Amino acid sequence: MHKLRDAPGGAQKDLRAQLEEIASSGEVYVLGLGNTDRSDDGAGVLVAQALKGEFPTRAFSEHDGVEGTVLDISEKGDGATVFFVDAANLGERPGTVKVVKREDIRDREITTHRVPVALMASILEKAGSRSAVICVQPKQIEFRGRVSQPVARSIDEVVEALRGLMTARDR
Amino acid sequence: MRELNVESLARVEGDGGITVTLDGKKVKSVTLDIHEGPRLIEQLVKGMKPEDDITVIPRICAICTLSHRYSALRGLEKALGVVPPEKAQMTRELMMLGENVESNSLHTFMLALPDFLGYPSAIAMLNDYPDDVKRALRLKKFGNHVMAVTSGRIVHGENPIIGGFGKYPTKKALEEIRLKSHELVPDAVRDVELFASLEYPAYPEEDMVFMSVNAPKKQYGFAGDSILISNGKESDVEDYKKLTNERVVSHSFAKRSLYHDKPFTVGANARMINMGKRLDGQAKDLFKEHYSERWLMNPLFNNLAQAIEMLWSLEHMPDVCDQLASMDDPPNAQPTRQTGTGTGAVEAPRGTLYHHYEIKDGLIEVADIITPTAQNLDDIEKHMKVTAERMLAEGKSDDEVRLKLEMVARAYDPCISCATHLVELRRI
Repeated sequence: MHKLRDAPGGAQKDLRAQLEEIASSGEVYVLGLGNTDRSDDGAGVLVAQALKGEFPTRAFSEHDGVEGTVLDISEKGDGATVFFVDAANLGERPGTVKVVKREDIRDREITTHRVPVALMASILEKAGSRSAVICVQPKQIEFRGRVSQPVARSIDEVVEALRGLMTARDR
Repeated sequence: MRELNVESLARVEGDGGITVTLDGKKVKSVTLDIHEGPRLIEQLVKGMKPEDDITVIPRICAICTLSHRYSALRGLEKALGVVPPEKAQMTRELMMLGENVESNSLHTFMLALPDFLGYPSAIAMLNDYPDDVKRALRLKKFGNHVMAVTSGRIVHGENPIIGGFGKYPTKKALEEIRLKSHELVPDAVRDVELFASLEYPAYPEEDMVFMSVNAPKKQYGFAGDSILISNGKESDVEDYKKLTNERVVSHSFAKRSLYHDKPFTVGANARMINMGKRLDGQAKDLFKEHYSERWLMNPLFNNLAQAIEMLWSLEHMPDVCDQLASMDDPPNAQPTRQTGTGTGAVEAPRGTLYHHYEIKDGLIEVADIITPTAQNLDDIEKHMKVTAERMLAEGKSDDEVRLKLEMVARAYDPCISCATHLVELRRI
């Protein structure tokens, strides 16, 4: 789960509109983070998986290798936008969705398991790409537990907003 | 009395902290406090079938996932009287090479290097060292790829099974790995040169004892049926309890290990010290060039050892791929008994990992897992204590002491999640 400190996030307005504001005119990529073994912690991965069928070359998750995907996008250097999606403890009601802009990512998630999102966002920025983190407040992160109802609804909401944006860019 | 604290040790996996308790200028104690809650995985798998255990067990960790799976497989196969075919054993070797490249690239560059170069994190390092950071990401990506090809996916792959594999890598996939590993060797050589050029502070230096598996055929490797000890002794893995002597301490959720009542080290430096003469290729030449007696006393050299080992892994992959490509896919070996005991030992990137099983009538009665970090914790405290004593005697500031203590702890590449954060200076 994403460990954000005092994530400011966007105002609770229409999610699609928030994503439109952040995205460049280039390709939009989705990178789902988290651990599906821990119920709501897998929200990001579930979003990416839901979009994978329609956008196989632009929807990725932990299972595809996050750092490698970021490296590939950065090396293209074509002004893309990457939306990371992850469960994050925002101190809000379960299912709350917040969009944290690149300059506001202050994660402390530097572990032996994965390169921190802040570093990946910096690499993307240096390559001329934009990024942001779509955060979903989990209700539960029990091992082998089920995804909670409020988070399941939020996953659908995030998928719809991203699908709309990615489809519009394809036209 | 006062305390010097690192409440939350960054750049390690899991939740831990370091407390240094001082009485005047005298260091009373240094403790690595493990706050991460116990996982109780060993209890969870009791009563399970072995084939279900290997799906649950790797969930202990998302980076050593394949080491956990492989060690479990070795223990379970021994217990069930299964001898996997040669191609299965070699494919497992390839998956371990991939995991080694993936994990060592992340630890050396993203977690350890910023300390040596004076940056608070790899993020801060990016402006001045963009090529090095990208090189590390290329290596990690490739390590992940090898893990996915061999195990089925990047994290928690289900392809390695009891007696063999669900599906063997195709010749095309092996050829891609062979070519790419060869292409990445110059990157790994640059990494070794970078880590060899760093200044390794002498503060933590103290006599050490090293343990690692003894890879078969007198080769360097990541699995074996006996344990080499740097005092010249060798022990069967089934005697792992006599080597590790696990005990509980009050300040930690992780168990501790002592060998003959003394701390010991597992990890890449231990493997190099016990099996370094078996290296080949440029890894052998660079080990010979950069090895010194200081490696025997200073845990910080584990970083350089990891860089050399990553190079060896890449250099070794083409040969393994060639051999695998020449073999037909064999049928998987089947259990010859339903009751038995067995211990598996493999070298996870951060050290020796034991999985012991007792099976009765096809169900697991006892599971015992001893992780590398649990074995290293006493050794980490020992080297942090001498570091704190020497630095404080020289009048170094609390901040300087904190940083060096964190460097010592991070050098072991600890996985606290596996072992079950990190510095507090307390004055009395």
